[in-house]
Amino acid sequence: MPAYTLETNGAVCPFPLIDAKSAMEQLNSGDDLIIGFDCTQATDSLPQWAADDGHEVVAFDRVGDAGWTITVRKGA
Amino acid sequence: MILTGLLLGAALGYVLQRSRFCVTGAFRDLYMARSARFFIPFLLAIAIQAIGVAALTGAGVIAPEPASFAPLAVIGGGLLFGVGIIMAGGCATGTYYRAGEGLIGSWVALIFYALFAAVMKYGPLGGFTEAARSRTVADSTIQETLGVSVWVPTILFSVLVGVLVVRQVRKSAGRKVVRLPARRSGIGHYLADIPWSPWVGGILLGFLAIAAWVLLSTASGRNGGLGITTPSAKIVTYLSTGDVTLLDWSVMLVLGILIGSFIAAKLSGEFRWRVPDANTILRSAGGGVVMGIGAALAGGCTIGNSLVETSLFSYQGWVSFAAIMLGTWAAAWFFLVRPQKAAAKSRPAPALSPAA
Repeated sequence: MPAYTLETNGAVCPFPLIDAKSAMEQLNSGDDLIIGFDCTQATDSLPQWAADDGHEVVAFDRVGDAGWTITVRKGA
Repeated sequence: MILTGLLLGAALGYVLQRSRFCVTGAFRDLYMARSARFFIPFLLAIAIQAIGVAALTGAGVIAPEPASFAPLAVIGGGLLFGVGIIMAGGCATGTYYRAGEGLIGSWVALIFYALFAAVMKYGPLGGFTEAARSRTVADSTIQETLGVSVWVPTILFSVLVGVLVVRQVRKSAGRKVVRLPARRSGIGHYLADIPWSPWVGGILLGFLAIAAWVLLSTASGRNGGLGITTPSAKIVTYLSTGDVTLLDWSVMLVLGILIGSFIAAKLSGEFRWRVPDANTILRSAGGGVVMGIGAALAGGCTIGNSLVETSLFSYQGWVSFAAIMLGTWAAAWFFLVRPQKAAAKSRPAPALSPAA
């Protein structure tokens, strides 16, 4: 299954979420979106958005201090 | 003892950082995401504080004096403040605690906010602010107009919030949201690892707001609660005049927020100096200017007015609550929704690259 990366480091909230939503629109269901971010509030808003919109979170972890990566698989 | 201000501020900074509590986000997401996840916990904080303050007032421990209501200044200032916090990406308190997390953009917003609050309160525009805020109307509070005890609005509001809380809890029950893997065990897991829920944030915010009333009156005999704008202006004025009488309990409180948030972020591996791009810095600076002017006119920010004055059921509190919220919605449309719509037509989509 195709996977795509979206780097949002440096962007403050709510921009990582806005960009993630807009990127997701370009993908097909089953595709993975790997989002890198360093806005703390997005550790809350991105998994919440995935749960609300029916996408699956296949990976979610830290990358060093104040850096994170989340992989969201597009739902049906 | 003004040091109690520092301790309370540190506790506040710690709680806000761990719960990712953002009043700007709470207002913005009501409109942008139709989500009340942070809004209702914020209302809960107001209700908890309202009950606590009414009880302490009844017991004679404190004697709150709600602000006189200057409609034009409060509405105009509130709208401006709402626009400013969307531009800056956080309200005054949010900007303090994000600065503690190492966000350079928040430092820029904070410096311009404090500077323009000082300009409006103690500087060249002090006369204008005073003139605008002196156009007051007769009644200050809802209970004064209705001729009832403060307990009437307190109980009615608390019941309403109770209903909203139950509805929100039911709505999110059973929904599984993925969390980060644990890095600490035992008590450290709860204190400096997992994020705290918005409910924990809202409840603790309410109790810290009550504690502020008690600690401030014990420390200085003054009647007041949490406040951010005036101490921010005092810091700037102190730095430029050397007048040490400006360094009071409230100044310790805002400095405490920075320290508490820094400690929380550092312990949780969430501190790093983060440098935004030039556009974000410019927007943060502009947001800080608008926030400083707006908060000085309205007589408070999302804490001083939307959290504290509201708990006294003053018109200044609730009218500025509504004005700030409308300001955030207008600015969210202008800065966030509209560009997105335009982008959908023209801008190349966010850069995506196939992963290996």
